[in-house]
Amino acid sequence: MSMEFLDGNTILYSAAFGLMLIGIGGIVISNHLMRIIFGIALLEAGANLLLLLSTYHEGASAPIIVDGIIPAMMADPVPQALVLTAIVIGVGILALALSLAIRVQRAYGTLDMREVRLRLEQEICDEAGIEMPSSSEKPAEVIKTPVNSVVQQESGS
Amino acid sequence: MNLLVLMIALPLLAAFLLSIIDRASSFAARVIGPLVLLATAAIGLSVWSQLGDAPQAVQWGGFQAPLGITLYADQFGLLFALAMTIGTLLLWPRSTGNQLRSSSLALLLAGTGSGLALSGDLFNIYVFYELMTVVSYGLIASRGTSGSFASTLRYLVISGFGAALALAGIALVYQATGTLNLAQLAQVAPEKLNNLQGFAAFVLMLVGFGVKAELFPVNMWVPEVYATASSRVSALLAGVVSKLALLIIMRLLILVFHQPEALTVLLVLGILGVATGELAAWRARDLNRMLAFSSIGQLGVMFIALSIPGNAGIFAALAVAVHHLFLKPAMFLLAARWGGSIRRLCGAAKTSPVAAGLFVLLSLSLIGVPPLPGFWAKLLVIMPLLTLDQPLYYFAVFIILAAASLEANYLFRVVMKLYDKQPTAVPHKAHATADLATAVFLGGGLIAAVFMLVPLADRLDSIAAQATDVSTYIQTVAPQSLEGDVQ
Repeated sequence: MSMEFLDGNTILYSAAFGLMLIGIGGIVISNHLMRIIFGIALLEAGANLLLLLSTYHEGASAPIIVDGIIPAMMADPVPQALVLTAIVIGVGILALALSLAIRVQRAYGTLDMREVRLRLEQEICDEAGIEMPSSSEKPAEVIKTPVNSVVQQESGS
Repeated sequence: MNLLVLMIALPLLAAFLLSIIDRASSFAARVIGPLVLLATAAIGLSVWSQLGDAPQAVQWGGFQAPLGITLYADQFGLLFALAMTIGTLLLWPRSTGNQLRSSSLALLLAGTGSGLALSGDLFNIYVFYELMTVVSYGLIASRGTSGSFASTLRYLVISGFGAALALAGIALVYQATGTLNLAQLAQVAPEKLNNLQGFAAFVLMLVGFGVKAELFPVNMWVPEVYATASSRVSALLAGVVSKLALLIIMRLLILVFHQPEALTVLLVLGILGVATGELAAWRARDLNRMLAFSSIGQLGVMFIALSIPGNAGIFAALAVAVHHLFLKPAMFLLAARWGGSIRRLCGAAKTSPVAAGLFVLLSLSLIGVPPLPGFWAKLLVIMPLLTLDQPLYYFAVFIILAAASLEANYLFRVVMKLYDKQPTAVPHKAHATADLATAVFLGGGLIAAVFMLVPLADRLDSIAAQATDVSTYIQTVAPQSLEGDVQ
């Protein structure tokens, strides 16, 4: 029974895990804010699909008793209710994320997450009145020094 | 018993009515929020006094346990619901911009937090957790600076990631068991979730709910958010909201997931959290981020405590959590005026001696200097770790002790600056009276705890014992299903 159940749904399960993987990949790999937000949307879609699949039966009817006739196989309403809630929350969060992205774009003039992070760090440091710690992502000062060191090396040798 | 429902419904209702009330009278809108929270806290306390040793369960919506919406009130859940309500009251946000919006958000936070603490099934836990997360976005962004928008966005990305993972974990649990009710899950978990799928579900939910509990790999948002949000919001998030996420993980651990691997995961992530948090705090050059990183370290200690099997682990984690609940908000309130570079704090003790004295007291308790509660809390973690007699647990003890010496180093660096003889060019503004009064109140709570140590420890022990009593949980929520299922 359990094997049959698995076989029939292999494609759907791989779709759910695939969507989640693509979403996680999008969040982790890309730097563009829009892609990251779409990554979250895909990840949520995958999780929702996984939830729906948790008690999915092919050909099951809605769990409503009409004229006293109980359907032979009924769909489980709990995951559907939960997914409906999750979709609503997800859309709300997506809208919030986009509006925040607009605010950030207006303030920093960029949607590149590395840039945003750097500017945020700069803003926190400025507000706190401390020097920005030297960052590996900021090679501006490092470029100047090799020129001198090359000159010194040449004169040394 | 419908009183319990009011603890959630009252703040939520007030939050949505606030803008209508504001049309009629802006004064009423300003006072009604704190008043509602006061009433909610009173309700919570009256439920607490009725409770005694017997936890209570409420079924909402006219259906019995596995189908209906279950609220479960034991001292453990009620303690955190009360902490949420009273914490929000004490740390009531004072927005420079739209006060009405901040008030509504604070009420929503209190309502959803209480709901999270009292929920008895995974469905509602997920919904309340998401609501609480969205409310915190609003509170962080309410400061209105570009930095607060950017940090909210980065927080949102990590939180969205975590929420989806938690949902996937819930899906795995439902697939294996066919229920989301915690009492029913507790019944079937030993049989159906004691496998690889159960472990995967645990890890997904741990990482998902761990975002708010500042768990090691998903806590990148912490320093940015606490540095850009207003100090009262930071105090709320670090002090209270993080503990509610911890409560969920504790409940899951007690009722649903019993794999020994789960404890190992908690231990490893806890150790990494303490090590990274305290090292980063040691490197921090501004007070807000130092406190933020130290908060990651403290929550790491709680995760290490949770990895101790049985009652002792829950007891120790509870003790550290309650200690942190008092201490971190007070520290963030002091950072309201002292935020920014530590170097600028030279001689600040002269302009605000009370605040400086309080900071010394809080630092000593955070490090764990003997008579103060922080010492006993850490001792409760270390003692059972030593009896477990395993290399990784010994290593955890070493990390906790090393972290204490790091804490001493960086906190005394701040204290030295505070009492520096040469004041800085720019004199420091004194603390706002409300901030200082709240911080003194919380610090006073710590000192009071020193004198009531034994009754306090007994009480926490009994709370932990009640929380770990799985059979009482099952019987309180669903007595008939227990009889039906057990052959």
